[in-house]
Amino acid sequence: MVLKSRRTFLKETFFTGAVLVMSGTKLFGAVTPLQTITAVQEDLFPHAKSLGANASAYVSTVFHHSRVSEEEKNFIRNGVQWLNEEAVALYKTTYIKLTPTQRQNVLIHIAQERWGERWIETLLSYIMEAMLGDPIYGINKNEAGWTWLHHSSGLPRPTKAFL
Amino acid sequence: MMYDVCIIGSGAGASPLAYELSNAGYNVVVLEKGRLFREEDFSKDEIAVSRRSLFTPLLKEEQHIINQRESDGTITRHVGSEYNWSFWNGSMVGGSSNLMSGFFHRMKPNDFRLRSAYGDIEGANIVDWPICYEDLEPYYAKVEAVIGVSGELVSHKFQEPRSTKDFSYPPTAVNEVTKWFDSTCQKLGYQSIPTPRAILPYDALGRKACSYSNFCGSYGCATGAKGGARAALLNKCKAKIITEAFVYKLESDAHKITEAFYYDKNLKSHAISAKIFIVAAQAIESSRLLLNSKNKHFPHGMANNNHQVGKNLIFSAGGSGQGRFMYENLREEEQKELMQPGLFFNRSLQDWYEYDAGERIYKGGTIDFLFEHANIISRATKQFYNEEGKILWGEELQEKIHKILTTSRVLTFEVFNDWLPTEHCYVSVDDEVKDKFHMPVGAINLWGHAHDLKVGNYLAEQAVKVLEKMGAKEISVNISASAPPNLVAGGCRFGNDAKTSVLDANCKAHELDNLYVTDASFMPTGGSVPYTFTIYANAFRVADKISEYLQSQL
Repeated sequence: MVLKSRRTFLKETFFTGAVLVMSGTKLFGAVTPLQTITAVQEDLFPHAKSLGANASAYVSTVFHHSRVSEEEKNFIRNGVQWLNEEAVALYKTTYIKLTPTQRQNVLIHIAQERWGERWIETLLSYIMEAMLGDPIYGINKNEAGWTWLHHSSGLPRPTKAFL
Repeated sequence: MMYDVCIIGSGAGASPLAYELSNAGYNVVVLEKGRLFREEDFSKDEIAVSRRSLFTPLLKEEQHIINQRESDGTITRHVGSEYNWSFWNGSMVGGSSNLMSGFFHRMKPNDFRLRSAYGDIEGANIVDWPICYEDLEPYYAKVEAVIGVSGELVSHKFQEPRSTKDFSYPPTAVNEVTKWFDSTCQKLGYQSIPTPRAILPYDALGRKACSYSNFCGSYGCATGAKGGARAALLNKCKAKIITEAFVYKLESDAHKITEAFYYDKNLKSHAISAKIFIVAAQAIESSRLLLNSKNKHFPHGMANNNHQVGKNLIFSAGGSGQGRFMYENLREEEQKELMQPGLFFNRSLQDWYEYDAGERIYKGGTIDFLFEHANIISRATKQFYNEEGKILWGEELQEKIHKILTTSRVLTFEVFNDWLPTEHCYVSVDDEVKDKFHMPVGAINLWGHAHDLKVGNYLAEQAVKVLEKMGAKEISVNISASAPPNLVAGGCRFGNDAKTSVLDANCKAHELDNLYVTDASFMPTGGSVPYTFTIYANAFRVADKISEYLQSQL
């Protein structure tokens, strides 16, 4: 029972719990993954929001999925820390406090690193899912993503989400 | 209870036996590790099927170890779950035949005598099959009728002999772009072949027609038009099917298998007794089960006193390529033809099934052409990088995705040629890693012969000529020695010599009187076509042999 409670707590706090950001060897501060991921996803693909796709809410849902590996979840959470540490190194503040231009510069900076490129690719993949997956998942509202790309879904469509 | 026949697995290598033997009145039980999915369970949910791998086991629970042999002879060990490297296909009633594309080419007569026809190749264990094309031909014809193969026979220089004039069903409808293809091939002097498909063009065999939903490969068929083993056979027989039953061990005396032990989904162990046991759990897993089934009579694994189980694992060699057709190079009418949704492409080339390479006649292969899969998320994610390999985002990515996906379409090709059997490519069981059933996992020891690449590249060059002549742009080719998990065979090769093969010509183990292996494991060489058609045909053939045996025991 204790373990179960702890697991539930960890799940719920995965996105809202604090991630510590270091500046060199010193503690700079803390950020929440959800805030950072929301900002990054809007910076990476702003068109998703204009299509009504709530990519960060979708990522929160997907991260409770048994088929998304712990390695992937940890990588995304670690990426939040590393991204903010790059922001601190470049601009002496965390990512969400930067101007849009500064945030783009941070993204360009981390894209030069192997982890950063992979992290951006991972977040983009979930944005595409949120924008182009079946609306049964609470995404792709009014099939706006499919309409944008002139896509007709295969039939039959799912009647329940696979979560 | 003593069954007449116990079948382990329910895919293309298992279901013909369940169908034939249970309909002949024998008491048959099928043990299937996966769940039952019916037509009504199949949707075109890309997230579930393609992104979250709905139909395959979780790698952290069940996986393989992949030992890759490098060019310098060293071995690199990959733990499947750590590298997200999966060799699972369809873990479900009917197996991966539910998810196939159903490209149903027969093997050619020379595929049954590869060594006699084309000679030895250094470093490869090439042998002739113990049966010939004529032995299997009636069963190819049977599959065409019972499973339902649609197509249109055209004569060409490598057309194999047939006992029937044409396929049992006319071809499924095709996209207008096939006319561009046919005309191009004519100009090049190539023979365009309508690809035979295990897909019903109209209601027949108690199944519904194809709905042209535009999603076929990797997805279950919601109409039953696709000739998967469940829809075509298991639904029409009286065999008892036990689902979520993982067979972890076979027990035997000195001559016969006595029991199959399986775990149910609650990890409770059960035993099944039968007169005959048939293993058809997919090539890698069948060898693994035999290797994990040790006793005093078979200390190295069942039917493995000659140390042949797991040897000569093969895949399909070759690879794929593609070219893009773009609006800016097409007239308005052609743009509409290009974007017609739902219809098949269904074109193949076999002009180079064998070819003269100067110093010798080479065994070549088959090239199948098809449109890029309709999966929209997958097509969007392919646009993340620019030509210099730099990752894109923002408006630049948005514009690229929109332009590419709305004003162009990709025609792909798949090359199938022989993956030569060698001593370095085989199945074993791992000493360290166990699955959720506490059984040693299968280890896939991978190596591809350099000859496979040479042939694959030659065939790809011919396919590229067609794409170029058709006006495709951004043509790319990916021929490699990487092993396709959905095109695997061997490991329990059949043959007349009990020292160098696991099974006899009837797919019965040399060392046991009542053990058969009937999935693709039996194949000593694979031909240069996808395997499912031949697996089905051979399973029907073995069903006749077992039926004859059971009748003789009455």
